[in-house]
Amino acid sequence: MRHTVSRWPAVISLVLALVAPVAARTRPRYGGTLRIETRSDPLAPPDGIARRLLFDTLTQVNDRGEVLPALASSWESQGANHRWQFHVRGGVHFHDGRPLTAEAVVQSLAAACNHCAWHVRAVGDSVIVTSDSPMPGLPAELARSAYAITRRDENGNPDGTGPFRSAANSNGILFLSANDDSWQGRPFVDAIEIYTNRSVREQWLDFSIGKADLVEVPPEFLRQAQQERLPLAVSAYPSDLLALTISDQHVRDEHLRESMALAPDRAALFNVIFQKQGEITASLLPDELSGYAFLFPGAANLARSRELRGGQSIPLRLIVERSGSALQLVAERLALNLRDAGWNVRVVPQTGNSDAELALRMVHVEASDAASALRELMANFGAASRDDGSDPSALYRIERTFLQSHTVVPLLYLPRAWGVSGRVRNLALSPDGTPLLANVSLEDAK
Amino acid sequence: MSLRQRLLLVFSLTVVLAVATVAWIVSLRTRQAFTQADQKHAAALVDQFRREFDGYARDVAARVDHLAQSDRLARIAFELSRTGDPSPYVNEAAPLARDYQLDFLEILSADGNIISSAQWPARFGYREELHPAANQPTFLKKEELPDGSSEVGLFTLQSVGGGGLQLYVLGGKRLDRGFLANLAAPADTQVLLYPMLTATFDPHALLGMGGEVGHAARYQALIEQARASGQEAASTIFLSNRREDSVDATALPLKSADGSVLAVVVVAGSRRGLVELQQHIRAIAYGVAGAGILLAIAASLWITSRISRPVEQLAAAAAEVASGNWDTRVDVASKDEIGMLAESFNDMTRQLSEQRERLLQSERVAAWRELARRLAHELKNPLFPLQLTVENLIRARTLPAAEFEEIFRESTHTLTSEIANLKSIIARFSDFSKMPKPQLQEVDLVELLRKLAALYEPVLAQHQPAITFDGQADDGPLLVSADPDLLHRALSNLVLNAMDAMPGGGKLTVRLRRNNGLVEIRVSDTGTGMTAEECERLFTPYYTTKQHGTGLGLAIVQSVVSDHHGTIRVESAPGRGATFVIELLPAATRSVSA
Repeated sequence: MRHTVSRWPAVISLVLALVAPVAARTRPRYGGTLRIETRSDPLAPPDGIARRLLFDTLTQVNDRGEVLPALASSWESQGANHRWQFHVRGGVHFHDGRPLTAEAVVQSLAAACNHCAWHVRAVGDSVIVTSDSPMPGLPAELARSAYAITRRDENGNPDGTGPFRSAANSNGILFLSANDDSWQGRPFVDAIEIYTNRSVREQWLDFSIGKADLVEVPPEFLRQAQQERLPLAVSAYPSDLLALTISDQHVRDEHLRESMALAPDRAALFNVIFQKQGEITASLLPDELSGYAFLFPGAANLARSRELRGGQSIPLRLIVERSGSALQLVAERLALNLRDAGWNVRVVPQTGNSDAELALRMVHVEASDAASALRELMANFGAASRDDGSDPSALYRIERTFLQSHTVVPLLYLPRAWGVSGRVRNLALSPDGTPLLANVSLEDAK
Repeated sequence: MSLRQRLLLVFSLTVVLAVATVAWIVSLRTRQAFTQADQKHAAALVDQFRREFDGYARDVAARVDHLAQSDRLARIAFELSRTGDPSPYVNEAAPLARDYQLDFLEILSADGNIISSAQWPARFGYREELHPAANQPTFLKKEELPDGSSEVGLFTLQSVGGGGLQLYVLGGKRLDRGFLANLAAPADTQVLLYPMLTATFDPHALLGMGGEVGHAARYQALIEQARASGQEAASTIFLSNRREDSVDATALPLKSADGSVLAVVVVAGSRRGLVELQQHIRAIAYGVAGAGILLAIAASLWITSRISRPVEQLAAAAAEVASGNWDTRVDVASKDEIGMLAESFNDMTRQLSEQRERLLQSERVAAWRELARRLAHELKNPLFPLQLTVENLIRARTLPAAEFEEIFRESTHTLTSEIANLKSIIARFSDFSKMPKPQLQEVDLVELLRKLAALYEPVLAQHQPAITFDGQADDGPLLVSADPDLLHRALSNLVLNAMDAMPGGGKLTVRLRRNNGLVEIRVSDTGTGMTAEECERLFTPYYTTKQHGTGLGLAIVQSVVSDHHGTIRVESAPGRGATFVIELLPAATRSVSA
């Protein structure tokens, strides 16, 4: 009997001991340092990983594509979308303590948008954006990190209102600390260390020994990572457009540009170099956003390419605008494809002021709606477009007209993916694949 | 050239030719020997290179073989046989090439498609031009690279079996400077590599063991010869103007599996040592030959002096004889041919002296006889009337006084006349023997001609039949340095001679003119002329063709002309008259030459 009674506390203790961690895992904990490794500069615009941690935008888009308030607490449009008024959220401060004002927002937007078709001004605590043409998609567009609200601090460094503030930047490590006064509330982790210029191999090695919590998984390694059962977070849709651009300044004849556009063998790039990750595309927008990408044929046609070339064999240079062995391999493959079509192409290293005839570009699409994404892409390729709303047929016409100039040859859409360690909890990615770290907590945080 | 010089030259040339011939033969044999040594050396180097090259090929084959046997490739083959998807292995070749220290590596599918390429990763899916055939021996291949360049490499193709699917690995190492640097070549040997990457020869493409090759262009002909023929070619290549900066180069064409030449390896052995040895031997040979020639020349000098001295004495004696010293004798120092020649010479000069003496005596007698004949002839003509006159006087002594007186008067007149004639004959002989020495002065021949014409023109005009006188002279004074009296006398003799030659009348022409820097006096008649024999003897003293001539007139003329350093000749033929031509030096010229 004594033995029976004495067993209950032990059993209860055992049950509690087993249940407590489970309960703890369901509830985020504050504290801890998140370690991230990247190949590139985390502060580089427009999509450096640290930018969304340090800076906020007026609006934000959730994973369903809905536009939500951020630094703008509300907004309304007037004059058939020719005029927009954004009300700046009150009580928000930059990291150096200065308050967020409508003037500061206007200065930041004006600096970020030198070539925009709209004008911005402050009226009281509101920001008024006006344009000669209607801007139905402006709130969604202002959610892009390109329009993050920043201002220069006393040292001339960009300062923001984001959930983390910059603590130090030395020896290739960017140290961020939690912003206790964030308008969104304090993030769970105390600090984030971002190790820059780390190769994928180094990142994966550190990841495997527990030295890194979040590492990059480039698309060409995504299949391998999946086969090795690496914990992954992958973007909802492929958001990096790999495209060949043809300079109409160097190659003025549209037929010659079309000849070049018909040469690439996208399937080889997709199947072999990127291991069937992402999707083959001949359109600017991914099919997930537009739904009409299949209308753009992407098969190579060497016979037609040679016919359009018409005996021309001017020496062409192809540069790769981003470093990376996969992109270099893609460039070499494109050069081979073009040589098969009779073009004399040489892949050359990119120098400071390159003006090569051909360029291989990787463009990130941050916008999560078709109209904004198309405007973002066309702006990236140096073409302006009107905000004609989100009518698919109108977008199709715009895109088709643009692509018929054959200055941009879309090749592939590639996903963004991250390796996530088991101690990271509640990690979510934005639709374009950017990690949302404000709500991340660490498993082993005290 | 003297006999001694000629002999010396002959001896010297003989010795030099002999020495040169020997030197040439020695040099030829030496060169042949060195050439053979060179060829053996070059052949040994080429053999050594071939062994090194074969070793390199075996090394490549071994590496590729090890790779083909590796677990990694077996696993790839197995996975491929299971999935059929080669795309995961697109980047396999590069790390495998690094691990197995290969410069080129391609993993090929059974149908020859590239699964992965280390040297050109983007060529995945392309078909390899070389049709895969397992276990091929090592072969050469030109590999295109992404940057548009190409390289030549030594390749091996190996099959990889696994899971029922056959793969191939095509691995190789490039033939480049590193390949050359690993070759074990002797210190004086260079191994050069020229990959045939361009249609025309590019000197910068020629690789050496230590980097870029100096004087690369000098190898062009040899390399192109090997490339064109596809056969081994050898040549001596001079890298500078110095003979020792040369190499014995052998070009070996390296061919691909289809027989085309992909590269040419040049094995170049330095000739410096051989050339320096050759030069050393040649210097010694030249020294010995030079000393031999000098010695031979000295010996030749001694020998030629021994041989030529008696001949020179004979020559000198002969020259003495030629100059008139017929009493010259030479020493007879030997009994050989030269001694016999000297004795013969002495006999000859002795006989010559004797014959001359006899000739002189004969000539003297003949001269005296001629003189006696002339004198007798000249004196006989006046003596005969004298004799008749005296005999007539003797006979007239018996005649009456008046008649005697008349005869006496006529006889004395005749005697006086003939005696005067005799005196005249004697005086002419006396004059000839006592020709005065000319008193030279500047004489204008034109003036002399004028005087002559004034003197003889009337006489000629009175001649029956008449003789016309024609005096001609070039313009201006014709000055000679002469004794005017003697010259006048000579010309008078010629005029009188011409008158005698024209008993039937005719024309006497005296012409003065300048001819070839001389002053020429031509006295021509239209008389009967003379034969060549007469012309030849015309100036001989006491020779005459006339009935009453003394034969001294023209001799006096010749004597006068000769005393004036002039010449006289006659131009005549029977029936065509005669022309006496006197040539005198002009006044200034003669005075200078005098």
